[in-house]
Amino acid sequence: MIATSLILLLVLIGISIPVGAALGVLGLILDPLYSMLPLTRAIGEVSWATSNEFLLVAIPLFVMLGEILLRSGLAEKMYNSMSLWLSWLPGGLMHANIGASALFAATSGSSVATAATVGTVALPQIQKKGYNEPLFLGSLAAGGTLGILIPPSINLIIYGVLTNTSVPRLYLAGIIPGLAMAGLFMLAILLACVARPQWGGQKISASWGERIASLVHLIPPLGIFLLVVGSIYAGVATPTEAAALGVVGALILAAFARRLTFAMLREVLEGTMKATAMIMLIVIGAAFLNFIMSATGLTSAITETITGLDVSPMTMLLILVVFYLVLGCFMETLSMMITTIPIVTPIMLALGFDAVWLGIIIIILVEVALITPPVGLNLFVVQSLRKSGSMNDVMIGSLPFVIMMLAMVAILAWLPDLALWLPRVFG
Amino acid sequence: MVTAMNHPQERYALLNRLLHAATLLSRLAIWVAGGLTLASALYITLDVITRKFFNIALGGSDELSGYAFAISISWALAFASLQRANIRIDALYQLLPPRVCAILDWIALVGLGVFIAYLTRYASDVALLSWTNNSSANTALATPLWIPQFLWVAGLIWLCIVLALMLLRSSVALVTGDLDTVRAICGIRSSQEEAAEEAEAGERMVKGATP
Repeated sequence: MIATSLILLLVLIGISIPVGAALGVLGLILDPLYSMLPLTRAIGEVSWATSNEFLLVAIPLFVMLGEILLRSGLAEKMYNSMSLWLSWLPGGLMHANIGASALFAATSGSSVATAATVGTVALPQIQKKGYNEPLFLGSLAAGGTLGILIPPSINLIIYGVLTNTSVPRLYLAGIIPGLAMAGLFMLAILLACVARPQWGGQKISASWGERIASLVHLIPPLGIFLLVVGSIYAGVATPTEAAALGVVGALILAAFARRLTFAMLREVLEGTMKATAMIMLIVIGAAFLNFIMSATGLTSAITETITGLDVSPMTMLLILVVFYLVLGCFMETLSMMITTIPIVTPIMLALGFDAVWLGIIIIILVEVALITPPVGLNLFVVQSLRKSGSMNDVMIGSLPFVIMMLAMVAILAWLPDLALWLPRVFG
Repeated sequence: MVTAMNHPQERYALLNRLLHAATLLSRLAIWVAGGLTLASALYITLDVITRKFFNIALGGSDELSGYAFAISISWALAFASLQRANIRIDALYQLLPPRVCAILDWIALVGLGVFIAYLTRYASDVALLSWTNNSSANTALATPLWIPQFLWVAGLIWLCIVLALMLLRSSVALVTGDLDTVRAICGIRSSQEEAAEEAEAGERMVKGATP
């Protein structure tokens, strides 16, 4: 039963049927194979329940928030301010790449958008200031991945819905690991540029006056972050309500920047709905397959088989890391997450891992997939911004950051409180 | 049938026109869907503010935005499909010759069609049941459930029509060996293509920032 289902899934996805439809079709096939009852009829109820789930309404709202902010012209000023503050370090603007990405991540729930935005602003500086190209490109691709770890994050909402885990707790849990990982990225740059000073480009000097004056450009993104994340923890709003507040806040910012036009709004709406429809097709397919899998006993069969292997939790964690590293070579990250979480989570929870902690681990592994070849989307984004040169530069430059991400997983395994402390204090 | 075979060009022209019209309508639908989502955001915000500062609960923002969400997705799916925005895994696909890829593209469209057909079939049951049982939501608003559910199913039916048109056009193209058209209708968007678009969007947005 397990083998048949797995082979069917691999075939359906392998022949490139759209992921959402592949999950749904697998459900349609498994139902007559393993069940006495016509379970397929439930597809209507399941998809209605999924489609009007209030928590998932946060997805289009967060996508829309990002789309509006991207078009409101905040990115360039924010980057300049970051560069005044951070570029005295060995490695110069590369630290600004990470810092700007982390800050942008605090307003956006998407990694690809973060890499595209910061990358556009930063790339012209490589030639101008004589940086080591691979490392600079790697810092952009890797910095972008922070978008889904630092709240708000669309991926964490999906994890929360699929595993019945509280999204506010997940958001709290993402903050420290997110900042720690930004720190590790900067450490990687620092070490590389101390060992090879010629990689670090020309120094940029700034006076304290300039630095202080530039802080004004950090207020809008921090304001959105405080509005969205702050309203959740002040107990004023649920995650979905906070996303709605963020949308309105972003609209006001765009209006002040004189960018709120009818054409802009139309682009925002079209982009938002296209992305949301795509995500929701997969979520609906997965919800239906989930229902079929638990009704036919497949889910418990898988969990029992794997926990019956009697491996230690730490070995299982290691297997999980390798599993996602390999899978990330074939699958687009969002579909990878939605497809695997319903199977992976029950196994890991049965072994005694914490659901919130596991969510953070999975997000970091998904981030790794975003910058490892051959299908790491952030690599492609940075490469297409650059327009010339070899893709290998971006891949090689991302390698140090992949190592830092895996180090972060190890640190979290050693010190789970890094993720769990904030949710315990505020939750 | 025979006359149609004698004028293949004309027959395709009709099909192409239909597909073009469907694209226009779907684009309109996605704007309305986006508008619904924006309206949800505004209403939810208003609800939060009045609740917090004036102690007046407008109420129902979670329920109503949930309905708006369901309706907006089902109506947005047609345009997303026409734009080939559905996520497909191309690890194997990339390695295959164009002729095989065209067949896979067609199969992918059939797979999507089968799933959506089942979904629409049983979603209509849900809506019809709410209608005959006169069911209403278990909330203060007591919304008659058939209203949002009919609108939701209507979007799915429109999606079925669009998929049928796409399937018809790509089948004709596949049989006549017109691989370019197959790709244009239901081909995969490669990661490169996807990333190029994201990058371009990012550039456009930031460049717009410097007047």
